[in-house]
Amino acid sequence: MTPGGGHSAAVLAQAAARRDIGVFEWLFDPASWTGPAGILRSLGDTATLCAAVIAAAVAIAVPLGAVLAHLRRGEVLATWAVTVGRAVPTFAVAGLLVPIALRRGWGAEPVPIFTALLLLALPPIFLNTYTAVRAADPAAVDAARAIGMRERAVLLRVELPLAATTVLDGVRVAAVQVVATEPIRAFLGGDGLGRYVRDGLGQNNDGLVVAGALLIATFAAATGLAFTAVGRALPEGVRRSGARRPRTERKERT
Amino acid sequence: MHPAQATNPIIRWEYLVDEWDQISEALVQHLRLTVVSVALGVVLATGLSAVALRFRWAATPITTTTAVIYTIPSVALFGILVPYTGLSMWTAVIPLVGYTLLVLVTNFVAGFRAVPAAVRDAADGMGMSRVRRTLGVDLPIAAPYLIAGLRIATVSTVGLVTVAAVVGQGGLGRLVLDGLRRSFWTPMVVGSSLSILLALGLDLVIHLVGRWLTPWARRRAT
Repeated sequence: MTPGGGHSAAVLAQAAARRDIGVFEWLFDPASWTGPAGILRSLGDTATLCAAVIAAAVAIAVPLGAVLAHLRRGEVLATWAVTVGRAVPTFAVAGLLVPIALRRGWGAEPVPIFTALLLLALPPIFLNTYTAVRAADPAAVDAARAIGMRERAVLLRVELPLAATTVLDGVRVAAVQVVATEPIRAFLGGDGLGRYVRDGLGQNNDGLVVAGALLIATFAAATGLAFTAVGRALPEGVRRSGARRPRTERKERT
Repeated sequence: MHPAQATNPIIRWEYLVDEWDQISEALVQHLRLTVVSVALGVVLATGLSAVALRFRWAATPITTTTAVIYTIPSVALFGILVPYTGLSMWTAVIPLVGYTLLVLVTNFVAGFRAVPAAVRDAADGMGMSRVRRTLGVDLPIAAPYLIAGLRIATVSTVGLVTVAAVVGQGGLGRLVLDGLRRSFWTPMVVGSSLSILLALGLDLVIHLVGRWLTPWARRRAT
């Protein structure tokens, strides 16, 4: 294969801009937002992948964390999530999976980057679910058992609602990390919001690099704010009961 | 993602021999970027923690700032610096230092806050100077927290250095990018696996050095 063969598709659809273009001149030009290399398309690519990763991470980590915490097991996994969770080498994991995926005929996208981002998203969601369910008010749990609730109902109707705020906080942390890390995808054979930094670096175009960087940072910040807003919109009862218990828990942890 | 996958046939073993110079150069650059960034991070975090511990009002702004820096996407932060620092080492080092601060400051402050007031009073009562008390009493008690912070900061820095390859730095990350560009899998596998092994190796080294430096912490550990 010729040099650059790996990127041939991306090269064809490179975001093009004048070398001396101003950051905001490019951002406010409607032409930058449309077309196959447009911002809207890239934003859609990034948002779709991140949403899929977060959905999968929630589907795995919340049930796992909740059940293990309810059964009072899995200490090791929780400790592991604290230490490893901060340091998942997403780029290396994806870089290792790309050749494997290509060789198996899955293509450079989206299996490697999806898997790498999933590994990044799991620890904070698992950890928050686990600690919050474990910290659910024992009085409430005892009361639920005393009125004859089955274990399943204790978990689903008492412990998890009490844990909801903290679980959502874990999802927020995971989502911000995923959105902040996803742009490496543009350097591993894909596109998404990272493409403007990549294309700008390739064309020696600082304006495009900085504009791309601003887009990435803005989307990550917006993701964090969106989750905070969702947290505020939770039903009053869940919010208050959930917020009270984990706060004491948080103090113990630090 | 497991190092054992390096035995996968997608690796061409001659490459390891033929290109050993390139691999070892990338490994050395990776290690250098990590050590420089973490060392600068420790210096900066020590100063910030000292301020946060001395002046109560400063603690919240300092932790909030480091938390905000931590959430800035790495590709974005590397990219924003390109017009100022070009493709030099600083474009990689400045963000890497910034990312270490949250973990380091949090652990440093927690460590020194963990010193029991009675111990501190006893040291003062014995007539220890402030400097002697800090180094001889507070520091040994805080040490396990400092070492834990150093481990997390180092391991995550090793991971982020690979991302710095996008701005022309990045040690082992460059092997990954070069391999992808040439559709040659071996450098990708070698670069990724070595960076993961480097992270695990450095973690183990700091853990062992920490244990050796703090024999008293082992007895208390549960």
